[in-house]
Amino acid sequence: MLATTTSTRDSGLLDTLVPLFRRQTGIDVKVIAVGTGAARAMAARGDADAVLVHAWESEKRYVASGDVRDGRLVMHNDFLLVGPPADPARVRGTRDVVAAMRAIARTGPFISRGDGSGTEQMERALWRLAGIDPTRVPGRDATGQGMGATLLVADQRRAYTLTDRATYLAFRERIRLVPVLEHDPHLLNVYHAYVVNPAKHRRAKATLARAWVSFLVAPATQDVIGAFGRARYGQALFVPDAGKTEAQLGLK
Amino acid sequence: MSRPGTGGAGAPAVVFDGVRVVRERRTILDVPRLALPADAVTVLFGPNGGGKTTMLRLIAGLERPDAGVVRLAAGAGGRRDGVAYGFQEPVFLRGTVRMNLELGLTLRKVPPMERVARVRAAADECGIGHLLERDARTLSVGEAQRANLARALALGAPITLLDEPLAAFDRVGRVAFLDELAVLLRRRAGTVVLVTHDREEALRLGDHMVVLVAGRVRAAGPLRAVLERPPDPETAELLGYTVVVDGRGVTLGIPPGALRIPRGAVPLAPGARCFRFRVERVLEVGLETRVRGRILTPAGEVATEIALLAGDVPPVPGEVLEVSAAGCVAIGS
Amino acid sequence: MRDLLAAFARAFDLLASGDPALYTIMARTLVVSGAATLLALLAGVPIGYLLARRRFAGHTLLLGLVNTGMGLPPVVVGLFVWLVLARSGPLGDLDLIYTRRAMVLAQFIIALPLVVGFTVTSLRALPERLPDLLRTLGARRWRMLWLLAREARLGLLAAVMAGFGAVVSEVGASMTVGGNLERSTRVLTTAIVTETGRGDVPLALALGLILLVLAFAVNLVLTWAQTRGSR
Repeated sequence: MLATTTSTRDSGLLDTLVPLFRRQTGIDVKVIAVGTGAARAMAARGDADAVLVHAWESEKRYVASGDVRDGRLVMHNDFLLVGPPADPARVRGTRDVVAAMRAIARTGPFISRGDGSGTEQMERALWRLAGIDPTRVPGRDATGQGMGATLLVADQRRAYTLTDRATYLAFRERIRLVPVLEHDPHLLNVYHAYVVNPAKHRRAKATLARAWVSFLVAPATQDVIGAFGRARYGQALFVPDAGKTEAQLGLK
Repeated sequence: MSRPGTGGAGAPAVVFDGVRVVRERRTILDVPRLALPADAVTVLFGPNGGGKTTMLRLIAGLERPDAGVVRLAAGAGGRRDGVAYGFQEPVFLRGTVRMNLELGLTLRKVPPMERVARVRAAADECGIGHLLERDARTLSVGEAQRANLARALALGAPITLLDEPLAAFDRVGRVAFLDELAVLLRRRAGTVVLVTHDREEALRLGDHMVVLVAGRVRAAGPLRAVLERPPDPETAELLGYTVVVDGRGVTLGIPPGALRIPRGAVPLAPGARCFRFRVERVLEVGLETRVRGRILTPAGEVATEIALLAGDVPPVPGEVLEVSAAGCVAIGS
Repeated sequence: MRDLLAAFARAFDLLASGDPALYTIMARTLVVSGAATLLALLAGVPIGYLLARRRFAGHTLLLGLVNTGMGLPPVVVGLFVWLVLARSGPLGDLDLIYTRRAMVLAQFIIALPLVVGFTVTSLRALPERLPDLLRTLGARRWRMLWLLAREARLGLLAAVMAGFGAVVSEVGASMTVGGNLERSTRVLTTAIVTETGRGDVPLALALGLILLVLAFAVNLVLTWAQTRGSR
């Protein structure tokens, strides 16, 4: 059983990868789409066999605690700030996400995931960098839901939000929010796959999990990841990263 | 048994004018014109299904006629305050008998003190004064019927409608309460319209009578007048007459209980009529003896019954006797 | 098992600590579901009365709709209300989507068929002649409705319990039209979903226990009223 995060499900990538994996190996993968926090927690409780997450800082802690092991860098995509076309904080056209967060903090509104996901952790990190207490941002609220639902709420409430590119592209046709800031190096979203440590969680099926992780970093799969979304959105949603190091992506 | 002011000479309390009620394309009531007298007890009498209850519902405004109007006398206060209705089945709301009796008075905005007094009076009249604090749903059948009546009477409405007020009683209870009800109705002011299918009740309680058969009024007027001049054989039979056609082709009504077997030398009462009677059975009913048989006339035979007086010698089945009856009326003349 | 015990402890701690965020969510849950139930009662009892006592064109159709509506999936109601209230929808200009009012509306739609259905059943159980009796005693329209409702109060309390129980425990519609916004529209059920998604299973379970306690407390009050009313 594989636990993964919502943003990969909403973008549809796993809908492509899971059947491919089944054809190659005959192994079926049950996708439990939860926030990164819950994916971690499920791993920590041994309810999942493998995880695919994107919250590098906290991942390091779970590797240290021995809950998960054999981490492999799979791919990355990036976050972007989206907001209402009226852009009350006048962020559009700027390039510094920290300055943009400060501008949004003055005007609001901002809709947060608030679900403990990697996206929310990224958002908190950005507020921290900007030196802002997010609870004091006017009109900031949290949905406690996945990225897709949060985009819909932000759209209806004419609010800014932080989203991964894959989900935004998948929802672009349905919402009026527009990208107001992208391509800042702070906005990188790196996915690692892990095997739940069978030494710590006896029910975890480590062999199957290893097959899944190996599949994700195999060259053929990496090509599929690199091409995913291009046909539909005109641009790829993920950048395949197998074989690269964290440092090359700017992670510490 | 008549009470003061029962003449009905003044303006009528209720007038039916061109009233028709149709259900599923069947006319169940057709009353071109009928006036019910004020300040009197009018009984609506007839077989079940004849439209009696429908007439009460029209008066109460619970139904509208498909044609025509039902008018209440001016000064009755309209249907809301002017009419009280005692339904055939006693239905009570949750709560005590007192609460049930007070509800209508509360809805008619009667002041609290007067409410208490009127409920007390009506309950005592109907013999349920001791039951006022009882849960209304725990009353016996007879008690419920009395409470049902008391609830209607407590309203003191100008027009009181009572639908078979004795129907739920057993035979013994009915006889006892019939006496009470007769007294009670005579004592009250106001108009009463009472529905019954029972001849004895009708004769005991009514000042006026309306005979209703299959949705049509067969006879209407003061009780005595209706009794003395039944308009047709069917009505006469409803009123208890034995109907025969005599040798001259005249239709006669023999009043109930009027037939006698003459004894030797005793002369016939003046105006009495004689008939030939063939004995079929002799019945012992307790201390009484009844003779069942047929009156024989040139026009045919009519089944009837004669009660023997004490001392009469019982006849033998098959025997043909000469019998007599006083007070016979001509029908439809 | 450890999680379950932890949940009990956590629920107790949360309640005892007087955590303002928790009490805000509890109060919000009560207000939203209470308002929806109350509105459903105000609209549903007269509709139920008409269905129970009158025959009119479309009577059977409406009754069928009510019976179907008693099992309406909340999430479908939520989607429908979302489409109507979204900014692109027919009532988008009201700007109601992702507000408590939107949640009340959705929950009202969920509770209404239940209230109507229970009202029809309980009014039909009354003696057939009762409305005629009340009319001749002098009751008109609203007074009549009130008196009949009082007679049928046991059944109507059951309607309240069914309606409130359905909306306080539903999550689909509240999530869809309320958006589960932390500061304005998060209620106990959507909070449970969030905490489950976040991986904080003990907190989610604790919230579930609190929801049960809340629903139980409300039903206890109503049941008390019911037994008192049956005397």
